[in-house]
Amino acid sequence: MKLVFPGIADLIHISPLIALFLCSLIPITIKIFRGNKEQPAVATLIQGLIGIAISLALLLVFGGTGQTAFADNLIFDGLTYWSGFIALSAAALSLFLMYENPSTTGDQFSELTFLTLNSALGMLILTSATDLLIIFIGLELMSLSLYLMIGMSHEEKLSKEAAFKYFILGSFASAIFLYGTAFIFGTAKTTNILAIMEQSPDLMETHKLYLFGIVLIMLGYCFKVSLAPFHAWTPDVYQGAPTPISAYMATAIKCVSFTSFLRVVLTGSVISSVHLFDILQWIAVITMLVGNTAAIIQGNLKRMLAYSSIAHSGYILIGVIAAGVSQEPSFASTGVLYYLLSYSLMTLGAFAMVALMERSENEIVNIDDLAGFSKRHPILALCFTIFLLSLAGIPPTVGFFGKFYVFSSAIAEGLIWLTVWGVINSVISVYYYLRPIVVMYMKDGDSVVATHSLHATKGTIVATAILIIILGLTSGALFELVQNTL
Amino acid sequence: MLLTTVVFLPLLCALILVFWPQSKTLRFAALGFSIVEFIVSLTILTNFDKGTAQLQMVEKHLWIERFGISYHLGIDGISLWLVLLTTFLTPIVILGAWNGIQDRVKGFHISIFFLQFAMIGTFLALDAIFFYVFWELSLIPMYFMIGIWGGARRIYATIKFFIFTMSGSVLMLLAMIYMMFLVQESTGTMSANILDFYKLNVPFVAGTFFSLQTLLFFAFALAFAIKVPIFPLHTWLPDAHVEAPTPGSVILAGVMLKMGTYSFLRWVLPLFPEASEYWAWLFLLLGVVGIIYGALVAMVQPDVKKLVAYSSVSHMGYIMLGMFSFNIFGVSGSLFQMLNHGISTGALFLLIGMIYERTHTREIVKYGGLAGRLPLFTIFFFIMTLSSIAVPLTNGFIGEFLILLGAYKANPVLAGFAVSGVVFGAVYMLWMFKKVFFGPEGEVLKDVHHPVKDLSKREIAVLVPLVILVFWMGIFPNHFMDYSKSSLDYLVKNMKQYELTVHDPKAPGALQAGVQR
Repeated sequence: MKLVFPGIADLIHISPLIALFLCSLIPITIKIFRGNKEQPAVATLIQGLIGIAISLALLLVFGGTGQTAFADNLIFDGLTYWSGFIALSAAALSLFLMYENPSTTGDQFSELTFLTLNSALGMLILTSATDLLIIFIGLELMSLSLYLMIGMSHEEKLSKEAAFKYFILGSFASAIFLYGTAFIFGTAKTTNILAIMEQSPDLMETHKLYLFGIVLIMLGYCFKVSLAPFHAWTPDVYQGAPTPISAYMATAIKCVSFTSFLRVVLTGSVISSVHLFDILQWIAVITMLVGNTAAIIQGNLKRMLAYSSIAHSGYILIGVIAAGVSQEPSFASTGVLYYLLSYSLMTLGAFAMVALMERSENEIVNIDDLAGFSKRHPILALCFTIFLLSLAGIPPTVGFFGKFYVFSSAIAEGLIWLTVWGVINSVISVYYYLRPIVVMYMKDGDSVVATHSLHATKGTIVATAILIIILGLTSGALFELVQNTL
Repeated sequence: MLLTTVVFLPLLCALILVFWPQSKTLRFAALGFSIVEFIVSLTILTNFDKGTAQLQMVEKHLWIERFGISYHLGIDGISLWLVLLTTFLTPIVILGAWNGIQDRVKGFHISIFFLQFAMIGTFLALDAIFFYVFWELSLIPMYFMIGIWGGARRIYATIKFFIFTMSGSVLMLLAMIYMMFLVQESTGTMSANILDFYKLNVPFVAGTFFSLQTLLFFAFALAFAIKVPIFPLHTWLPDAHVEAPTPGSVILAGVMLKMGTYSFLRWVLPLFPEASEYWAWLFLLLGVVGIIYGALVAMVQPDVKKLVAYSSVSHMGYIMLGMFSFNIFGVSGSLFQMLNHGISTGALFLLIGMIYERTHTREIVKYGGLAGRLPLFTIFFFIMTLSSIAVPLTNGFIGEFLILLGAYKANPVLAGFAVSGVVFGAVYMLWMFKKVFFGPEGEVLKDVHHPVKDLSKREIAVLVPLVILVFWMGIFPNHFMDYSKSSLDYLVKNMKQYELTVHDPKAPGALQAGVQR
């Protein structure tokens, strides 16, 4: 192994990461100098947003070139570019929500901002890493920050349980991931994905243990992106976590984990092992079925969204499988990225709606609480309707085009049965996505939003709703834009 | 630009209504907009060239280049009258809902315009995905219309409606994507353009279900069969009709069901001719079963609205029967019957809505002897009953006669059974008419505190255009059929190698080009 010293080019490449880290220090440093007293929350919010904005700007300027840094351990290609873009945007929007939510705002907001930025840093590492060990570092940095963020909620019971549960199960998943890495290192003599990519088909045949390693690594990912049967933590954690952080987890984590998953799948492992290919297909089908059927019986809005997010992992996995078996993976990968973007938008919006209804940190929002919502808040109700229809995949929203692209890429690879399962599931999902709409519009009640100032949350909701329509109508241009960078 | 205007004007109206102040003028504004839209759509007629079977007034702009999806509108003899039916019924529905809808008036009118936008788009779209967008979009306003302004079991009915329709259409989406890849295989570039779909030759193997053309055929046919609805898939319709508010029922029966039958003509028959022919027996059979089943069930309904809803199942059976007989009589009869059904069933729903507003009941046993107190209402109802049971000189006669003629040529046995449906149809409609209008005065008339008044001027204004059309279409059917003749002729004669091109009015000999092929 050749030892390469990092040069100035490497530093330029990781400048988004450096910026994010340095900016994350600002709020807590200020807090120390103020004698451990919180500065006004607005100031913290602005510092956090500036950090994300700088990082995003640097990523957009220097990223997306396809160059590698630090001896091929990090890559800044289209995947990094777009998923980093989605993750950072989701982080910024979640920060908005955290600023106004009763369970996250207040005396620990600067620590929370610090952790948010650091988990975003972990996400950037994760999306750009091409070495299994660097991926692991990214995963851990992202997850450790989140364990803390979940536990720091002002709500006393559920959030602590959620944090602990997530921590225990997450550690298991990480351990399994590392175990798989060890097998791969043992058989392929390297942990670098780019290096493995060339020899993967041969290794599949000669070394059974290599396949074992790949499977263990994929299990680790299955946990992170909550694919059944590794999804059990998701509803509990999403419910227990403060709503803005659930939104953050459901969007940003899923996005970057899937991107990294895609990188591993693109090594050609799936195409060279029929068994792995079958297993992944079944996982996709089971995930969709479990998520959608379980969501039907949920009364708690957050739990419903959690199960819906499980189901969406199944749809995304269809795209990932298609990319894995494709000769021209950029087509399917673009579908996956577009789906991730669309999914992030509508899920963020839906969680923002939940946040809007929370009057205190202990409030549990049920679907029935929405009764009469459309009469009191017609615009917000319309936005929520757009989110739900988009989640259900009704045109011309982004949700529809996301499904369209993913299913197209699967059909292009001949995965007809998988897509039939996909569309059957989207019909099942319509049932529960319509339920909040029914309650909002067709039942009378005295639903109210929280009384404190909620301008940022409302702004987030309206902005995402508009984006869902606009990005849906212009999806073709966006698709080409993304595909050209891959 | 004309077709774009016709499609998007209702959307613009809906947007204007969003910002319109919540006042009495809202209804007038909505009525005015819908009349303007109708007049604009009438200008299609003056620009329409009857002599050609090709697509006219085509507008095409690329939308999603990578997938060959385009913004593609065009009209021919098949879609022409359905578009006009939509724009014609909308002002009638708005005027008819003047007193009936009192809650969330603004939202209601926005829904109507949004629905009109989606339905016209469905009829005019010539691109698979573009069509699918409109097809699904039309569910949303109808979903709200039934769910917000509907009756007691409205939520059950509206969810059933949504899920039934959606479950059919998702498989169609997959089939469409598959066909886009088939186009890519044969021409090299992906396209969702229906004109490119027509050029495809999808392999067909008789005797098995698992041949490519058969599978694609059923994926499309299922979506449309649910919408029509064909017999075993019809169960959402009575629920939706009964629970929907009057305007919702009128649009549902008048236009939305036609989206299914129209799509059979546009998408299924020309795209999968061998499979359609091979499986025609199934659709003929289900059509006849639907005719008789719908009629028999209608006979025993205690609720007059439910009776008309089941009569819809029966009438839609005729349309399927005519279409799958694959001859010019049957196909043109079925197109004509689509319009008839829109007018006469729409009118019946309006009339039922009017009497319901007065009496707050729809049970047949509570009526009785209405003829003595409500002469005008009785006359209008009688005309519509005649149209519905296809008495000569009314529009219904032309449609059913042509369909039965066509069906007889295709399959005399099934035609024989279908004829019995005509008798059953007369039975349930006339029984109902007798019980409601004659005999001893019923419960609703005895209620002295709420005297039942005859039709108001507004209600007469709602009904008169429909009555005029009933007789116009019944006495001068050619005024209407001439426009669609070329297209239907061409479809029937060239089903196996159906191909459409864009009609260029300036090209020499264009007049005959379509027919001669």
